[in-house]
Amino acid sequence: MANKTGENVTLGFFVAAGVVVLIVSLYLIGKNQSMFGSTFHLRARFENVNGLMAGNNIRFSGIQAGTVNKITVIDDTTIEVDLLIEKEMKPFIRDNALVNIGNEGLMGNKVINIIPSRYPGGIITEGALLLSKSTPYPDDMMQTLSLTNDNVEVLSGDLVSTVRRINESKVLWQILNDTTLSEGLRVSMSNLREATVNINNLSASLNSVISDARAGKGTAGALIADDSVATHLKQAISNINNASKESLEVLTKLDSIVSQTQTDLSHGNGIANALLKDPLMVDKVNASIENIQKGTTSFQESMEALKHNFLIRGYFKKQEKKKSKAKK
Amino acid sequence: MKLPFYINNFLSETGSISRFITRFFGQLFHPRYEIRQFIRQCYLIGCLSFPLIAITGFIMGLVLTMQLRPSLIAYGVESQLPIMVSLAIVREIGPVITALIFAGKISSGIGAELGSMKVTEQIDAMEVSGTNPFKYLVVTRVLATTLMLPLLTVLSDVISLYGSYLGVNIKGHTSLQLYFFQVFHTLQFSDVLPALIKTVFFGFAIGIIGCYKGYNSSKGTEGVGRSANAAVVISSLFIFIIDLVTVQITDILGLN
Repeated sequence: MANKTGENVTLGFFVAAGVVVLIVSLYLIGKNQSMFGSTFHLRARFENVNGLMAGNNIRFSGIQAGTVNKITVIDDTTIEVDLLIEKEMKPFIRDNALVNIGNEGLMGNKVINIIPSRYPGGIITEGALLLSKSTPYPDDMMQTLSLTNDNVEVLSGDLVSTVRRINESKVLWQILNDTTLSEGLRVSMSNLREATVNINNLSASLNSVISDARAGKGTAGALIADDSVATHLKQAISNINNASKESLEVLTKLDSIVSQTQTDLSHGNGIANALLKDPLMVDKVNASIENIQKGTTSFQESMEALKHNFLIRGYFKKQEKKKSKAKK
Repeated sequence: MKLPFYINNFLSETGSISRFITRFFGQLFHPRYEIRQFIRQCYLIGCLSFPLIAITGFIMGLVLTMQLRPSLIAYGVESQLPIMVSLAIVREIGPVITALIFAGKISSGIGAELGSMKVTEQIDAMEVSGTNPFKYLVVTRVLATTLMLPLLTVLSDVISLYGSYLGVNIKGHTSLQLYFFQVFHTLQFSDVLPALIKTVFFGFAIGIIGCYKGYNSSKGTEGVGRSANAAVVISSLFIFIIDLVTVQITDILGLN
């Protein structure tokens, strides 16, 4: 009897263990599919669900938040997805959150991601429609990748051509093989360095000049800083303006005189015409000059005669003595 | 028209098994119920098979993980090892291997036990003494195998998964919590329930074939050995046939 009781106890333990393990396993699986516990519904609409199926996971900021309950085709461009979300997530999901369809890993199942908005929003309500955010689909990505590959192919072709041209360039290789070039470059760099130092010194000097000028030192400073110079300059410019006006008037008068003279010359009138063109006038002038020369000679002879006169001879002797003293 | 011997023999055997199954269901719902014998058979069939099932399940999980690891490493998806192993164990390997081990131990045991009772005319003696031998010997054993195999499979799956966890940690490191989280995150009812349901059919097939072969044993002790052998062979074959049918049905139902 005791043996049978032992058998029964062992059997009971075995059956209980099996049933408990089965129930726990089913509960854990069911819990993952949001079959137990309180949940609420949300909705999201997509143009393309890209293989999403009922039972796929929903994640809120990367945390498991529920499962896809149902997928319904609304029209030819709209598919509505019913989301079964765990109730404990309700306080954290706002009505301005976005949803997109992603992948669990590179080749994993589809997953719906609920992305919280950066801006404040109201608490979500049962059955609310969340805004969907389109994500690049693998096909689109492959197309872009294909385009990128084409571009890379073109670029690599160009690169090969460029490298070949560089390899075939004699001038470039001569430059690269020229050992004196480096020395020349070094000297050039040294000169450049010196020039830079000189430029620095020059700029320092210019700075000094400019600061002196700003301080009112020197001519430039006086020009810049002294107000009276400006006044004088204005006055000088005004005077120059007046002088130029007067010069203009003089030139105008000269112009009229010249034109008058030209008119006289053309008509044979006036003094200028007589001086420049009248041969009789030339003869008269020559005769007058000759008479003057004769008069001057006579005058010199008269004066010589006077020097030898006893009345005034003493005066001339005194004059000669003064001159000789001055020479000594 | 005279059919060839082997076809005739096959059809005859199929018809006899069908009659035997019909007789089982006929006896199942009619009193008197042999509860004590049923519980004893549950103990003998279920509890005493558990150590063998546990050891084979543990080794199966460990070896499967170690065999799969190099392939998954080659594809760079080593982290998917718990997912792959859990799906393989729960959906297919666990139920089938457990059923085969169970068939090897129980079906042959039932065949030999009932066969020896038959050839020693103990079954006839039971009839004379007023006990329904079919109800007492067959119904209790078939019911016990039908109900015990699902439980053994569930326990075997868990032990296999633990073996797999140890296999994952031989050359890597995954916490027990993360491992079982990945396993239960992957598994769905569509993985567990069809596998569990098919073990009921496996158990029934193992019990009914073992009982049939033993109950219809003849030709002395030689016939007993032959019955035990045939019980194992046919029940193993039935396991694979039922597995094939179950896969087709689950595929049609969209559960795969």
